[in-house]
Amino acid sequence: MNNSAVVLENAGRAYPGGVHALDSVSLRIETGEWVALMGPSGSGKTTLLNLVDGLDHPTSGRIWVLGRDTTEFRADDAATFRRETMGLIFQQFHLIPYLTAVENVMLAQYYHSLVDKGEAMRALEAVQLTERAHHLPSQLSGGEQQRVCIARALINDPKIILADEPTANLDEVNEAKVFEVFRTLHQQGKTILIATHDPTLGGLAQRKIMLRHGRLVEDRYSGSSGPRPARSLGVATTS
Amino acid sequence: MFFRLLLESFARRRSRKVLAVLAVWLGVSLVIGLLTLSLDVGDKMNRELRSFGANIKLEPAGAALPVRVGGYELAAAVNTGYLNESKLPALKTIFWANNILDVSPRLWTKLDGVPLLGMDLHRRPAYWKLTGAWPTAPDECLLGATVKALPANVPLRVTGTVTTGGTEDGAIIAALPTVQKLADLPGQISEADISALITPENKLADKYHLDPKSLTPAEYERWACTPYPGTVAADIQDAVPGSVARVVRRVSESQGVVLTRIGGLLTLLDLLAAVACTLSVMGVLTSAVLERRTEVALLRAIGAQQGNVLHLFVSEAGLLGFIGGAMAGVTGLLLGRWLLHAVFGSQAETHVVLLLLAPLLGLLVAVVASALPILHTLRQETAQVLHGN
Repeated sequence: MNNSAVVLENAGRAYPGGVHALDSVSLRIETGEWVALMGPSGSGKTTLLNLVDGLDHPTSGRIWVLGRDTTEFRADDAATFRRETMGLIFQQFHLIPYLTAVENVMLAQYYHSLVDKGEAMRALEAVQLTERAHHLPSQLSGGEQQRVCIARALINDPKIILADEPTANLDEVNEAKVFEVFRTLHQQGKTILIATHDPTLGGLAQRKIMLRHGRLVEDRYSGSSGPRPARSLGVATTS
Repeated sequence: MFFRLLLESFARRRSRKVLAVLAVWLGVSLVIGLLTLSLDVGDKMNRELRSFGANIKLEPAGAALPVRVGGYELAAAVNTGYLNESKLPALKTIFWANNILDVSPRLWTKLDGVPLLGMDLHRRPAYWKLTGAWPTAPDECLLGATVKALPANVPLRVTGTVTTGGTEDGAIIAALPTVQKLADLPGQISEADISALITPENKLADKYHLDPKSLTPAEYERWACTPYPGTVAADIQDAVPGSVARVVRRVSESQGVVLTRIGGLLTLLDLLAAVACTLSVMGVLTSAVLERRTEVALLRAIGAQQGNVLHLFVSEAGLLGFIGGAMAGVTGLLLGRWLLHAVFGSQAETHVVLLLLAPLLGLLVAVVASALPILHTLRQETAQVLHGN
């Protein structure tokens, strides 16, 4: 468990009225893995991401992230842990509308440690947005906004990157740029967890986890012909 | 970065900010206007209530044994001692000199068995009813309502008859120097009616009346520094040797009741205005915060603590409140002046303290009004807000 980036042990999320968004899921994601969470709408992909990043909490089971049991984290503990270890990429970008691109990136620095505009500019350069650094989100295209969102997620050098449908609102050109960013991040050894409908993006990941009705139905490594539950679904034990 | 967030938010979301500043400005203006009225209404009402008559009577020591009938104090028609009129200017030097609105010296004497009153007829109580004309020459006089005729040997001419409802009804009334000359009492007076600005008596004043020694040093200091009728009377008495200053309870207590009720009413109105102001600002800020709940959720998602978010939004609201309050300081004072002019026909004093209080009040209102919606937004599930649920 110490080498695992994320471990879920019978993790579940139920809502009032008996709706189970996630139903007793157990899985282990090793450090440096690129995992695509796939499945139809309502299958529990986003819920699983939110349980890992601590924006939501499980109603059953336990979760470990980078060796720490995050199940009982309070909201502020989760926020602190998140800013120290994770970068979040959203389908709807969620940029602050009255801050420029570079200021949006610096905002993540501000809540993490120290603001460094030069570093923020370099993060934008990495996603090919240097020339648009001083534009407001409303002056950027969807693809550009998503790349600002990625730069913001990467600025604090997170160990885990969680992305929720990062290419859903992008055209093919911008989609390709985002694919390239993820490829680079994977080569750098980052752990990447992406929820996506996009088969191309899912195909780029080294591991695909299929969810349906909140349950894990398939866990496949690229290049393999079938599920490999023996390695990936091993029920975690408390460390 | 914090100030950049504040400034950028101000610079680029102007319409909401302007609306919030307007709400604070209107609400705090009303509160400051009413506070101006509250601060000045005591003085204005005191001046209006002078028409009830003097609330303090200065008499020679030994001549001022009060006669009480049915709870009212009745002065003797003719006093037996006199005060030197030249001592009265000493009242301008006492601690409560600014609270003394009017001093009306009087001389009571008798001519052929008929009481004769000398006084400054320009300082007559407003409720006196005259038939005829007011005396203008030194040899003219008025007859009290129950005096049938002027005695034959009195060298005065009658210009009218006056009904006062008091002891003056049985007297001949003339100018003070005329009566001093007729009675051969130059510079002498038998009493002085004094109208003073007072504070209605309360439990502390009652405690002093029951037993002055029961007051603690702090209570005594508070009593001595408050213009209760008794406090002002004691100061007056000390200033004029050989005198006794008596509180005319019938007048002072009536004034006290009126002032207390008006003061209570205005305090209630102030509180209601402050609550209404806070609620209206809360309405504006609630919708402003709810509009930005995605922003709150994003800040949480990138690692901001609840305290960070609260600090940012409350600071922004506080700044809006401060600006609105500063504007309201000026308009509130103008509103108060207008209200006082409309009600009392007189100008209000400029209370500089209210100019300083207004921005702080605006800040407080905005902070209180913004804290609730922000706390409510922070309690919402961040994940659901970010996904538009």
